[in-house]
Amino acid sequence: MAGIFIFSEDRALAAQLLTPALELKAALGEPLTVLALDAAQATELSTLGADKVLVVGDSATWIEGLGEPLAALVAHASVVLVGGTLRGKHLAADVAARLKTGMTTDAKAVRIAGGKLVATRILYAGLAVCDEELPLPAVVTIRARTFLAPTTTTAAAPIEQAVAKADARVTVESVTPTSTAGVDITAASRLIAVGRGFRAKDDLKLAEDLGKVLGAELACTRGIAEDEHWLPIERYIGISGQTVKPELYLAVGLSGQVQHMVGCRESKTIVAINNDERSPIFEAADYGIVGDLYEVLPLLTAALRK
Amino acid sequence: MANENEDKFDAIVVGAGPAGSACAYTLAKAGRNVLLLERGNSAGSKNVSGGRLYTYALELVEEGLYQRAPLQRKIVREQIMMLGAESAMTVDYFNPAFGGNDAEKKAAQSYSVVRASLDEWFAGEAETAGAILASGQVVDGLIEENGKIVGIKVGEDEMRADLVVAADGVNSLLGQKAGLFPDASSHAVGVGVKETIELPDSVINARFGVTDAEGAARVAIGCTDGISGGAFMYTNKGSLSLGIVFNADQAGKQKRHIQDIFQDFKMHPAIQALIEGGTSVEYGAHLVPENGYDSIPKRLYRDGFLVVGDAAQFGINTGLIIRGMDLAIVSGLAAAKAALKTTSPADLGPEYMRQLDELLLMANQKAYRNFHHIFEINRIFHGYPELANDALQFLFTVDGKVPTPMLKGLLNTVRKHASYGQLAADGWKAFRAL
Amino acid sequence: MPNCLVCYKWTLDEQDIKIKSEDLSLDSSRAKGKISDFDRNAIEEAALLVEKLGGAVAALSYGTAAVKQSLKDVLSRGPEKSYWVADASAEQADATVTATVLAAAIRKIGPFDLILLGEGSSDLFNQQTAPRLAALLGLPCLSFVNKLEVEGDVVKATRKLDDSVEVVTVKTPVVISVLSEINKPRIPSLKQVLSAAKKPNQELTVADLGLTPEDLAPKAVRKSVKGFVMQRKNIIFKETAAAANVAKLKESLASLGLS
Ligand SMILES: Cc1cc2nc3c(=O)[nH]c(=O)nc-3n(C[C@H](O)[C@H](O)[C@H](O)COP(=O)(O)OP(=O)(O)OC[C@H]3O[C@@H](n4cnc5c(N)ncnc54)[C@H](O)[C@@H]3O)c2cc1C
Ligand SMILES: Cc1cc2nc3c(=O)[nH]c(=O)nc-3n(C[C@H](O)[C@H](O)[C@H](O)COP(=O)(O)OP(=O)(O)OC[C@H]3O[C@@H](n4cnc5c(N)ncnc54)[C@H](O)[C@@H]3O)c2cc1C
Ligand SMILES: Nc1ncnc2c1ncn2[C@@H]1O[C@H](COP(=O)(O)O)[C@@H](O)[C@H]1O
Repeated sequence: MAGIFIFSEDRALAAQLLTPALELKAALGEPLTVLALDAAQATELSTLGADKVLVVGDSATWIEGLGEPLAALVAHASVVLVGGTLRGKHLAADVAARLKTGMTTDAKAVRIAGGKLVATRILYAGLAVCDEELPLPAVVTIRARTFLAPTTTTAAAPIEQAVAKADARVTVESVTPTSTAGVDITAASRLIAVGRGFRAKDDLKLAEDLGKVLGAELACTRGIAEDEHWLPIERYIGISGQTVKPELYLAVGLSGQVQHMVGCRESKTIVAINNDERSPIFEAADYGIVGDLYEVLPLLTAALRK
Repeated sequence: MANENEDKFDAIVVGAGPAGSACAYTLAKAGRNVLLLERGNSAGSKNVSGGRLYTYALELVEEGLYQRAPLQRKIVREQIMMLGAESAMTVDYFNPAFGGNDAEKKAAQSYSVVRASLDEWFAGEAETAGAILASGQVVDGLIEENGKIVGIKVGEDEMRADLVVAADGVNSLLGQKAGLFPDASSHAVGVGVKETIELPDSVINARFGVTDAEGAARVAIGCTDGISGGAFMYTNKGSLSLGIVFNADQAGKQKRHIQDIFQDFKMHPAIQALIEGGTSVEYGAHLVPENGYDSIPKRLYRDGFLVVGDAAQFGINTGLIIRGMDLAIVSGLAAAKAALKTTSPADLGPEYMRQLDELLLMANQKAYRNFHHIFEINRIFHGYPELANDALQFLFTVDGKVPTPMLKGLLNTVRKHASYGQLAADGWKAFRAL
Repeated sequence: MPNCLVCYKWTLDEQDIKIKSEDLSLDSSRAKGKISDFDRNAIEEAALLVEKLGGAVAALSYGTAAVKQSLKDVLSRGPEKSYWVADASAEQADATVTATVLAAAIRKIGPFDLILLGEGSSDLFNQQTAPRLAALLGLPCLSFVNKLEVEGDVVKATRKLDDSVEVVTVKTPVVISVLSEINKPRIPSLKQVLSAAKKPNQELTVADLGLTPEDLAPKAVRKSVKGFVMQRKNIIFKETAAAANVAKLKESLASLGLS
């Protein structure tokens, strides 16, 4: 039983995976199976083009521990697409190892060529892109919002149970959801990203004031969130943070290292404010001001307020 | 844990520039137990230099050593540019003899070099010869006992040695800590900026009139906003090194930033034509010892302690030639030779000075002793380059109008830039300096 | 007293890799090697554990001939011994090959109570090696760990995930991948650097490990590697008067409907 399988514990992402999966189905002419975590997810995904839905666990399962049973379920698959959450990536790598097969992490695009799977991905934190060519079977992880979920619904596919038991050696003591202050910066159409050019937490007010005038949310570099804790971690952009594609990305006092830029380089317009003309951010910007943010931001806020 | 005795070396050399590596290499080759310390994450990673090395220095260290070095191109063309506002006059001196002779294994007189690879190579040679190289280590103090320097400090760690060699560059912290000289005062040093621009070899060859293995060294004056100093340009393999070195004191008084002056230099039409289409891959600024012999501190040693290279302010800058790396290597060698020759600590310093004489380093420094006074003639940097350009413009202009008589025209041009009195005074100064 | 192994990768420093404008190929001729960023955290965590609990730390790396350059660096960061596999296959290796080689090496030099890795390597950032290695060795795996406590044979780890923080416990032996927040890697002191020169290291060849050419052939083959260049307008305002720049930026934003 060859076939294409998808799995993600993240519901929105699971739906998004159906878009590339349906393209692969067309290219390979093989059935598409959704591995769902629970009945609710199964019902939701059953009308988006899949041929079959298997319910493999329940939402209380330790996802990462499902490697062994999932590998058995997809033993004859051609392609397994897994949602690129951290849990998903752990699980996918485990499954790939059990299948003794190749895996592409965080593919941007997938296609079939010459009987192989070709996945586009980044290298060196975004400095370069490449195509990875994998013989089938192949495992691929795809991050959220790489694809849009299918918009056309189909007749509901049959739903079956396939009990999968997680690795019992690991005991989950507690799971604490990270408090997101209610803002999803990936949805914002305008962002002001702040970096280490700000000397103190209070100074972020300069960016907030501008944000109010522009209708923009605050984002930041890794150091501002992870080291300084001036902003919550879900606001930092980059390879290990969020990926965003706003209309306007205004980068203030940040140098524009590749690990950061890879998370925002698909923004429509990038504007930079930095006092060092040689800073790499200016190469990545549509517009820029070379100047001290402490002088420029208040002026810009005042100018735009008029 | 290592016991205390294991932490003692015959010599600790601080700084893996050309001076330090030459010294460590020579000592290690002679079987001495040497520790070479470098603050950069690798040797050469923090160093800024124009990039022309006179080969004789490596030959002194070891015959044929240069053949292993990552050298770029043999310099066979010496070029001098005088820049006008938009125009330029270039003198091009070609001499194949400067290129040495491969068949006879005769080295070229000088080569262009890239410091990142040269320094890494040289420190690597020292390591292969048996020295221990530790990079990422900033020496921040000396250990002194009974008036003798007996070791160094790196943060919490102390390390002892019979000899400490300060090869830590122009702003030598160790020389200051040893009390041998006060802070290098700013009139004694020049500031330099340097950029590496990548271009295909075919383009470099065409623009500078050289072949793949051969290269040109070019100096330019009239590009420093009237500050005494000049620009240089060397051809490497696949890249050009270009930069400006000038008087730090005068530059400090100018309102304009050194980077802006350098930017203007690069935008000069005659220079732009040489670098066009290239990509900048490296940029840095650094100090240079500039006053030659008179800047060299009176004492370059203490018991258990020698100062070499830029740290000792060795340097020759004639405006046409910038020398520092060769003198650094020779002085590093002199220090090693002195250590190998003497047994009593008291003899070491005097022997080092003797070696510097024997290797002709001091004689070279003395020969150029007064040369820097030429830089006091400010019109060299602002006035005369324009004069030369105007004179050529006068000579070469044909526009159908009645020309001014030749002599009168030339004299008018001269007077526009300097009075006869100034000319006479400058001539006298130059004569004295030479 | 845990017996620890840290797996680290010797990678090129991406900051010195240039993109050639002619054909967008990568020029790494100026790039030096470094211990992959997050692996420094893994090494530090193992060193801290052993400083606290006793036990031992060894290090293991698979790379090209260049991997030898890493020995001094890694040994100055805490491990008492390092093992290295130098083979040309590492140049093109994917996570399948890497995990296979590491697992074979561990079978030979192990067993270990704790096997620590980085979250992802700074060049490939596959984030696969730890779970794959665990699967091959039949061990449990705790990934993305930012806090680690070991008591006897019980390991308690805090994992930081996309939308939650999870605390898990497991009994050794276990494979663990760490995040960079877990600690701040030390800058080796001079004494540590000098002592590294005296520590033992051992080469393991792919033949020693019984690996076949097939084991060393990547499943994921990287093709058409191209530098990523952004096409941006690069209109930079740099007058000395900030107000003039602000006025021009305001105009530009207005023209895009963004003011
Ligand atoms: C494996 C790995 C993963 C990483 N992942 C991420 C990631 O996901 N996201 C991320 O952001 N980073 C990440 N990083 C870190 C990244 O490499 C950079 O170090 C980081 O993005 C730099 O942050 P910054 O721009 O705030 O600080 P800096 O690089 O320190 O830049 C500060 C900038 O502010 C400018 N400045 C200073 N003062 C002023 C002033 N008064 N006015 C105007 N400008 C001023 C300076 O010129 C400078 O350009 C990662 C690194 C590694 C190794
Ligand atoms: C722009 C410019 C152009 C030049 N062009 C030329 C040229 O074309 N030809 C030429 O011959 N010379 C040239 N020079 C001069 C030449 O660069 C120097 O004379 C030469 O580098 C001196 O070598 P050194 O080994 O004494 O010092 P450096 O090369 O300065 O080396 C000192 C070393 O010590 C290390 N160090 C410093 N402090 C410490 C510490 N506390 N602990 C540990 N390590 C430390 C440094 O990192 C460095 O590696 C130029 C200089 C400049 C600035
Ligand atoms: N060649 C290698 N040798 C040793 N360890 C490695 C190697 N490649 C990857 N690793 C380890 O696996 C981790 C994850 O790497 P990756 O799966 O490539 O993102 C790294 O942080 C290292 O700890």
